[in-house]
Amino acid sequence: MAKDIEFSTSENKFILDALRQNLRLDGRSFDQFRDVDIKFGKEYGDVTVTMGKTKIHCRISCQIAQPYEDRPFEGLFLISTETSPMAGPQFENGNSTGEDEVLCVRIIEKAVRRSGALDVEGLCIVAGSKCWAIRADVHFLDCDGGLLDASCIAVMTALLHFKKPDITVLGDRVTVHPTDEREPVPLGILHIPICVTFSFFNPQDTEENIKGDSNAEIAIIDANLKEELLRDGTLTVTLNKNREVVQVSKAGGLPMDALSLMENCYKAYTITEKLTDQILACVKEDDSKRNQYAGLLSSENARDAT
Amino acid sequence: MSIIASTGILNHVDGSSEFESHSTKVVCSVTGPIEPKARQELPTQLALEIIVRPAKGVPNTREKLIEDKLRGVLTPLIARYLYPRRLCQITFQVMEAGEPELEFSQRELSCCINAAVLALVDSGIGLLAMASSVPLAIIKGQLVVDPNAQQLQESQSVHTLALEITESGKNVQNILLLDSTGAFTQNELFQILSQGEERCLTLVQELRKVLGDRINSEIIRTKT
Amino acid sequence: MSRFEIYSPEGLRVDGRRWNELRRFDCSINTHSHAADGSSYLEQGNNKIITLVKGPKEPSLRSQMDPTKALLKVSVNITKFSKTERSKTSHKNERRVLEIQTALTRTFNKNVMLHIYPRTLIDIEIHVLQQDGGLVGTLINGITLALIDAGIAMFDYISGVSVGLYDTTPLLEVNSLEENVMSSVTLGVVGKTEKLSLLLVEDKIPLDRLESVLAIGIAGAHRVRELMDSELRKRAEKRVANSTN
Repeated sequence: MAKDIEFSTSENKFILDALRQNLRLDGRSFDQFRDVDIKFGKEYGDVTVTMGKTKIHCRISCQIAQPYEDRPFEGLFLISTETSPMAGPQFENGNSTGEDEVLCVRIIEKAVRRSGALDVEGLCIVAGSKCWAIRADVHFLDCDGGLLDASCIAVMTALLHFKKPDITVLGDRVTVHPTDEREPVPLGILHIPICVTFSFFNPQDTEENIKGDSNAEIAIIDANLKEELLRDGTLTVTLNKNREVVQVSKAGGLPMDALSLMENCYKAYTITEKLTDQILACVKEDDSKRNQYAGLLSSENARDAT
Repeated sequence: MSIIASTGILNHVDGSSEFESHSTKVVCSVTGPIEPKARQELPTQLALEIIVRPAKGVPNTREKLIEDKLRGVLTPLIARYLYPRRLCQITFQVMEAGEPELEFSQRELSCCINAAVLALVDSGIGLLAMASSVPLAIIKGQLVVDPNAQQLQESQSVHTLALEITESGKNVQNILLLDSTGAFTQNELFQILSQGEERCLTLVQELRKVLGDRINSEIIRTKT
Repeated sequence: MSRFEIYSPEGLRVDGRRWNELRRFDCSINTHSHAADGSSYLEQGNNKIITLVKGPKEPSLRSQMDPTKALLKVSVNITKFSKTERSKTSHKNERRVLEIQTALTRTFNKNVMLHIYPRTLIDIEIHVLQQDGGLVGTLINGITLALIDAGIAMFDYISGVSVGLYDTTPLLEVNSLEENVMSSVTLGVVGKTEKLSLLLVEDKIPLDRLESVLAIGIAGAHRVRELMDSELRKRAEKRVANSTN
């Protein structure tokens, strides 16, 4: 971060005291995720996710490229997350070498790319010479905490929403059909990872945290910016609806009891379920809006239900 | 005329705006006056940091060129002498280009200018004048104001005009930018100026209306 | 799929261990007494690392000075020859290495008593001479040993270990052959407690299996702590014996 945001000591103390009394300044309970609002742009793969005062825009684009030599059957997939001062003056333009930025980028990378959420083999056109290169550009418009969770939702929704132009392959000749000529085809999405971030606070002194058995540490879900700046530790759990842990990252910070960490994972699962359903419903709704005349124009014969 | 604009859409910056015209959409944010880095600091004036980020891909020379043109347009608009040794960050995020990015940047540039004016007013930084901008194209000798993506591709020459406008949006003070590419005649250029001026004047009224509506909705007037 | 049998029906792994056995753990401290204030050399299986702790010392940059506590800096140098195949590019500034450095810094930030060394810098340098799976866990152990050698106050040991999951069997301490074919979890456990300072899962694991993986990981980490502790005590006894002579 370029310039650290600082709050007054009294404000810090107020937030922490409130947390000790089971209260959060925005009125949420400790394990309440902010409401997620998903909006689509005019084109396929253009998604804006709003979560409280956090706003993230994701744009998917594709072009034909050459696959890596050691992976001739796989297409390319790149997630680009560059910061700009638009999200807040603490971000520097295009500088992603800060600790938080690196962690954020790595976790998105692990959650979406390395977990195989996108079927890269389905992007192959001609083995070894041509494949689709899919690019996800994540733009942080407004940052009020939870950038990681929101980015993950944005990328996954955009990937589900995106459609690439249809192609015909004849030997080595590849014809790309413009979208007005042939219906574009969606990408192959194998699973939908959802990130849920927990923030830990230590209400006691450090020694009690390390040696004691009280386990009185406070864990809250989906912290906002102020809570993020004050927290002692963080845990990001990425799960999908198949009850698979895709990625967990607790990179240091406040030591936490293993059992309470497990509990957090289960809490994250209920949120994952809810968000997955919401994302799928949003994509479906938008799709039916775009294709409201598809049924009328279809030349397919009605099929027997048997 | 189809513009959709709003201001104050972002929470962590001092001023912000969204400007949409046809299928080009730009979000602009303004932060300032803030403390600059040592190398940005100007001893007598406000320093400007202008950043343009494309909808797809990483910023490259194309965005740098847009940034440079924007700097030329915005610098004379801002009362920079009011904020010596300060910095103002103006960031643009193109949400939808609405034109083939490899060949054209006219639509994005003019939308950026309009969005910047709105965001600067929203941020409360001192301005010397309003401004508005419009892209134009000449297709087979015919002048088209505010061309869409297809018209741009059919055109022989494309132009971006930005005017400095004062006196409640009635008087054109100056030409801030006239950027033309392609082949065109002297007569066509005069035509561009006169028709562009007309459109810029109506556009600035619309911008004033957007700002006015926002102020009216935010201020609760009480009878005294 | 492969020539190796990752886990044979008899319950043996590629390198002959059983599912709950650690790798060879050889450590020594004060190995580079002239180069640093604290140092350690650790061999955990085929992972070989040197850790140097320099400090608490005066920070060279003004920005590194904190009037309330010491600043901890960790830099990891993964040598080009650390794997069987020599890597062409330097690993420095790779995102993965930056991530490891950040994770290590944050792990020890909460465990070192930084508040008793205000206005200083504690510089930790790790050189990875050879790597064979479960690297992050080994790095944690190396740092713990070197910090103790440097005499820097800590609340407790932090011991690191990795656990893989093969089908439904958790395998303690994976080597690189195992790491490549299964998903693994890295833990950093504080002392003899069940508290985790670091927890990294990088690949898919069924949610319901995670608990058993953590359980065996914590047990393994406690064993690693004992091994480190006995080596340190041996060393200390030797020193006491030398000083009384």
